[in-house]
Amino acid sequence: MSTMSELISIDGVCHTYTPAHGREVLALDNVSLQVQRQEFVALLGPSGCGKSTLLYLIGGFLPVTQGSIRVDGKPVGGPGPDRGIVFQHFALFPWKTVRGNVLYGLEKMGLPRAEREERARTFIDMVGLSGFEESYPSQLSGGMKQRAAIARTLAIDPGILLMDEPFGALDAQTRGLMQAELLRIWRGSPKTVMFVTHDVHEAVYLARRIVVMSARPGRVKAVIEADLDRADPQLTKSRAFIDIVDEVWSLVREEAVRAERYRAE
Amino acid sequence: MATVGTPLATKATRHGPLWSVLNLSGWIPLLVIAIAWELCARSGMVTAYMLPPLSVVLERIGSDAIEGSLGLQVAMTLYRSLLGFAIAALVGVVLGVGINRSRFMRWLFDPLISVGFPMPKIAFLPIVILWFGFHDLSKLTMIVFDAVFPVVTATVAATATVARELLWSARNLGANEGQVWREVVLPAAFPQIMTGLQVALPIALIVCIVTEMKMGGTGLGGAMMETSRFADSPGVFAGIVEIAVVGYVLVWIMSILRRKLLGWHPESQAVSNR
Ligand SMILES: Nc1ncnc2c1ncn2[C@@H]1O[C@H](COP(=O)(O)OP(=O)(O)OP(=O)(O)O)[C@@H](O)[C@H]1O
Ligand SMILES: [Mg+2]
Repeated sequence: MSTMSELISIDGVCHTYTPAHGREVLALDNVSLQVQRQEFVALLGPSGCGKSTLLYLIGGFLPVTQGSIRVDGKPVGGPGPDRGIVFQHFALFPWKTVRGNVLYGLEKMGLPRAEREERARTFIDMVGLSGFEESYPSQLSGGMKQRAAIARTLAIDPGILLMDEPFGALDAQTRGLMQAELLRIWRGSPKTVMFVTHDVHEAVYLARRIVVMSARPGRVKAVIEADLDRADPQLTKSRAFIDIVDEVWSLVREEAVRAERYRAE
Repeated sequence: MATVGTPLATKATRHGPLWSVLNLSGWIPLLVIAIAWELCARSGMVTAYMLPPLSVVLERIGSDAIEGSLGLQVAMTLYRSLLGFAIAALVGVVLGVGINRSRFMRWLFDPLISVGFPMPKIAFLPIVILWFGFHDLSKLTMIVFDAVFPVVTATVAATATVARELLWSARNLGANEGQVWREVVLPAAFPQIMTGLQVALPIALIVCIVTEMKMGGTGLGGAMMETSRFADSPGVFAGIVEIAVVGYVLVWIMSILRRKLLGWHPESQAVSNR
């Protein structure tokens, strides 16, 4: 079923966590999803449904034990800079400054020194952290850490961008700015983006397709197309936009209620 | 880890170690003990043989210092303690990393450490003397043997609990496994390893003094046994005070080092916010 333009092809993937102590958790159950090259896909679903797990599998951090994940036709391998990830909990190196964190990936790319510094400055500036280059993560607010982590990943310019609630810690205003910035970057150098969020509005604003996952164990519940004109400054007020938000919202709500009932049982 | 010279590091130092030394109120309990000692010794309740007055002891330390014997003893004791500590630190970290990385090393050393750690290492002294004689080699062996345990256990625990997302981040950004270890695991584990080193240093000093007492040779421990043999009570008490001061200074230097090296760590923020 795969066509040439499919970059990420997820087929029948299950994932079970087996903690050393405690019982097994089926996190993903038979998830299948095709993502086109340069597509922007949002991933929505109740807490604990396996969104992060799915990104970890694509990123190569966890082994695929059931089903298959192919990137560019090849089974996904170990982690690498071709699939940049922004972790939900930032995962900045606490002993490195903001600048040091952003430089890390650039050093590994083997860029000449001047170019590394220049690139680091550009991306730190882009996420609005100029003036905090020499700060350590422990000296930053949650939102600032998150933006530093985004800069670090964007700086290495990965073909695939896996973002795990990247704007979750930001205030509404910064969030809006970062969303616009992300779209601008995406248009400038189109990447394949998988974007996890809890914010329905954000998902519809950013993504051409929205994948709604079911409560644990995670399955793909629905895939909504949001073929909107994102250049339109009035987009978020348009009928089409509001209708899609409503549709996605009711799907997400259903699952959130189910997840809640699970917990109550 | 170029933390020196950052605003944070300077700030932490300004209110940190130096300030705590100059902060005289912290010294009051010690002062009380010193005064009580002096008064008690002069009250006639005890003889000067059992407890010489502090002033006499300090005088003795002063004259030993001028005469030069004190400097030599401190130098010898420091040399043995610090050399032993350095070897223990190196061996401990290397062993700890090895145990973390290799299943064979873990299989081999896990039980040895479990048995060895709680054991009084000084019990091996007679064997070490049999093997290496009464010279520095025996003392160093004992120091390393005793001080290595907290370093190994701290290193094993610290390297095993590095957040997986930090390792993933590094791999994601293009680091190979060697780089992940050097550039992520070790720095992430460093605060806890440093704690292990801070435990190991006083142990090194203690074992050094004990072995000096047992085996003699120039050094603070040996000198104390000597004075005791000659029933030189002020000399014995002078030794106690000298050891206390040396120990305090060593521990103090380690805590400064910690703050210098861990300017990035949240614990440094706690200091500068106080
Ligand atoms: N290391 C782990 N060991 C055991 N179970 C785990 C582990 N990590 C996640 N899980 C379980 O797997 C399920 C999916 O976790 P995951 O983190 O992928 O959810 P999520 O959709 O990202 O949730 P959230 O929106 O809260 O971030 C959860 O129910 C959780 O209990
Ligand atoms: Mg998650």
